Amino acid sequence: MIGIIANPASGKDIRRLVAQGTVFDNMEKVNIIQRILVVLHNAGIKDIYMMPDSFRILESAVFALARNLRIDAEVSEIDMICENNQNDSAKAAELLLELGANCIITLGGDGTNRAVAKGCGDVPLIPLSTGTNNVFPKVIEGTVAGMAAVVAELDTERAFFRTRRCKRLCVYKNYELVDMALVDAAVTKDRFIGARALWDLDAITEIFVTMARADSIGMSAIAGYFHPVPENGPTGLYIEIGKRCGFSVRVPIAPGMVEEISVGEVRELLPGERIKIATPEGIIALDGEREVPFRKGDVMEIGLGHDGPFVVEVEQTLTSAARGGFFVKRF
Amino acid sequence: MREITVAEAIREALSEEMDRNPEVFVFGEDVGLFGGCFGVTAGLYQKYPDRVLDTMIAETGIMGITLGAAYSGMKPVPEIMFSDFITVVMDYLANQSSKNRYMTGMQEGGKDAGFVLRVPNGSGTRAAAQHSQCMEQYLMPIAGLKIAIPSTPYDTKGLLKYAIRGNDPVVFLEHKMLYGLKGPVPEEEYLVPFCSADVKREGKDVTVVATQAMVHKSLAAAKRLEAEGLSIEVVDPRSLKPLDMKTILNSVKKTKHIVVANEAPKTHNALAEIALRVVEEAFDYLEAPPVRVCGPDTPIPFSPVLEDTWTRSEDDIIAGIREVLK
Amino acid sequence: MKLTDNDLIGLYRDMVYIRQFETRVQELFAAGVLPGFIHLGIGQEACMAGTCFNLVDGDIIGATHREHGVLLCRGVDGKAIMAELYGKVTGTCKGKGGSMHACGLKQGALGNNAILGPAQTIVNGFAYAHKFRKNGKVAVTMFGDGASNRGEFHEGLNFASIWNLPSIYIINNNGYAISVPKSKQQKVEDLSARAAGYGIPGVQIDGNDIITVVETVGEAVKRAREGGGPSLIELKTYRWRGHFEGDPTPYRTAEELESWKKKDPIARFEKVLADQGIAKQKDFDGIAAEVKTKVDECQKFAEDSPWPPLSEIYTDIYYHEEGSVQQ
Repeated sequence: MIGIIANPASGKDIRRLVAQGTVFDNMEKVNIIQRILVVLHNAGIKDIYMMPDSFRILESAVFALARNLRIDAEVSEIDMICENNQNDSAKAAELLLELGANCIITLGGDGTNRAVAKGCGDVPLIPLSTGTNNVFPKVIEGTVAGMAAVVAELDTERAFFRTRRCKRLCVYKNYELVDMALVDAAVTKDRFIGARALWDLDAITEIFVTMARADSIGMSAIAGYFHPVPENGPTGLYIEIGKRCGFSVRVPIAPGMVEEISVGEVRELLPGERIKIATPEGIIALDGEREVPFRKGDVMEIGLGHDGPFVVEVEQTLTSAARGGFFVKRF
Repeated sequence: MREITVAEAIREALSEEMDRNPEVFVFGEDVGLFGGCFGVTAGLYQKYPDRVLDTMIAETGIMGITLGAAYSGMKPVPEIMFSDFITVVMDYLANQSSKNRYMTGMQEGGKDAGFVLRVPNGSGTRAAAQHSQCMEQYLMPIAGLKIAIPSTPYDTKGLLKYAIRGNDPVVFLEHKMLYGLKGPVPEEEYLVPFCSADVKREGKDVTVVATQAMVHKSLAAAKRLEAEGLSIEVVDPRSLKPLDMKTILNSVKKTKHIVVANEAPKTHNALAEIALRVVEEAFDYLEAPPVRVCGPDTPIPFSPVLEDTWTRSEDDIIAGIREVLK
Repeated sequence: MKLTDNDLIGLYRDMVYIRQFETRVQELFAAGVLPGFIHLGIGQEACMAGTCFNLVDGDIIGATHREHGVLLCRGVDGKAIMAELYGKVTGTCKGKGGSMHACGLKQGALGNNAILGPAQTIVNGFAYAHKFRKNGKVAVTMFGDGASNRGEFHEGLNFASIWNLPSIYIINNNGYAISVPKSKQQKVEDLSARAAGYGIPGVQIDGNDIITVVETVGEAVKRAREGGGPSLIELKTYRWRGHFEGDPTPYRTAEELESWKKKDPIARFEKVLADQGIAKQKDFDGIAAEVKTKVDECQKFAEDSPWPPLSEIYTDIYYHEEGSVQQ
């Protein structure tokens, strides 16, 4: 079975206002879903479950396919009640795990995938980026993602299917695991979750990353522009921000925004190691969104784990399937 | 006295008022570099590049700028290219600007909201049914709106300057066929107040109340009838809202006959209201029922032979005068 | 954005004031005391309070018939608003406007657009005046998902963007245009996405979270003040009452209403304030009691006020009265 989770709320937050983020309309998500469904339909796959949402992305896609391509796509809606927030994605992922999904295609940004990762267990993800500020999901054409999902579904022997396990950051509040991040955790002096997105650099004091690429943007790019950390390497990175004791670096902090950031202490984050946050009170932003508030007296720690979600290596999977004749039909 | 055209009179009025009040601004479709569809604003943009603004084809958008800026205390002078298009922005005239002061109970900060919407009016340009109408009758019932309807360069300049200095919403109707009409206009400053009908020609037998192009046709008709010994008085109301009934009533009390002459269709014609008020207020003086010389109740046709017949002429006015005297 | 404890308590008080004022209006209308049509904004308090928080003297906000709360937040005297709803001469408009036109022009709160659409272009006139005068002020128009279908939405956004005006378009998307659900109104799912067509930022946020509204509108206002031009913000919210008082709401389910009541902007903010240790239940109770006294005073003032004299019919037509008004 193939699961699909499209977050209707991604791609339209305050970053459109404070940076040059693109508005990602849900109609485009509907289009992507249509392209995925065409591929799955073509491969004869009918065991498909998708998260319902208030925008009825699935209904719109199925309707459009029937009208435009005369394709009667068979997709089931996951039986769940939506809260219209990110809990929906986590809950949908949990249900897909229970239903025995072979993979989950996600449409959203880092935040969406973080929510999915909380519930998907060992079901591998094919994360499609629907935004301009994402590190975890990749810009992959929906049709290609659909082809990888076909391999996930039909390569029952796992001869070609390739996945990789991701790192994650675990957030501990008073020694209890309370939340997680896939790419970065930024500690801020903000008091409120509010518009969630993180853009006020003056408020950021510490950053933890699982990966840091020089060809990305956002919090993880801050490290990426002076100390790249590969996504498949064993370590992460901790950096202290704002204090004028170390050096400064010019970083693309958001789409169309380059800022000079002062960096203090920098240290590698080793697997299993937990670092105690120095900031006395504030909010921890996870993958770019303010999530975990803490107050004076709370002991806050962040550690690196190798137990993040599995992601499908789309290119490797399709290449090995192609080499193995998976797509070939002999006469 | 020097003579200038109506178009020049408008340009002078705009320029003088822009000099006088730095918050007067002129805007609309093609009024900038292009100088306006009828060339009326030519040269203004070069003089006031920041205050003569071209807009997109968006009449409701133009009226939005107008009302908001007027409520803010600025003095917008927008142009809508043809008076026919005021139906597109009727909400702004009938429901917004004209009612704002009343609905808000004349609050401080909103009571001095004035603007002057300039609109080319009238037939004669072979522009067919959507670019030829006289639209004053659509505006007549709107409480809170003022309507200026001048016929000469002198009146046009004086009324426009007066309108711009006022604090009320004004629709300023300019007849297209009169833009090139020359007339005496003094060099020195003067204003023509609203509600000041002007007796364009004195007479004692019949009062003809006419507007815009019909004023000139009435004057020509009066001249022809003079040869027959008929003495025609021509009264130009100059503003329809507010309306100077006193001058009209005085004239009718003298002549005992009234003909109203307006280009627009007869039914609900703006001047029919004048005729009715004469009946209400001076019935005992009248020797005959009023006569309307107005357009037919049809759209305006395109073909020159049709339009020329559609548009009421000097001969039609003479026929109207003969009828009232029958 | 740095919000002080005072700011936060102020925002809370504004929301409670709107809720109590509107609830009182609801009761008075049901009792047959108030004439005319009444449209209540209960459930949309965060949209109004959060937006107005970002405005200063000289800024302009025009909303629709549902936003008495905007007037309250901008400091228009609640007594005068209530008197206006009664049709009394002490009302904001001397009793000549009523619920749909109550306003406070001096406070920059236009209330006079119960025809949905024109406000979306008129906002640009205010914004143009601000820009012309280089005064750093902004003009805000607040309307619903229904009004976003008017042609003026297009002409207004187009003007605002091409003239780079400090106009801020805020859609209170409560999901219904009177009875017609969003699904029958717009093919595009997100109204904020329409911003792309005008080359301006479009943002969609939770309109029931006051901090989110404060922050997001705050950024749009800052951008506009600094010459960055207009923005379109879609606040997702819900009206608890019908379109008008007396609307039996056959178009929506009780479950839907209940699900939104769980997202009550006031209750949610109480939790945030309590979690942060900024206020406790006894503080909330104190504010509720204080606001109740204020609303009682509004009602009493309106009740005790005289009707307008009949001569009011004929005044306030023109600024310059050259001719007489036919009576």
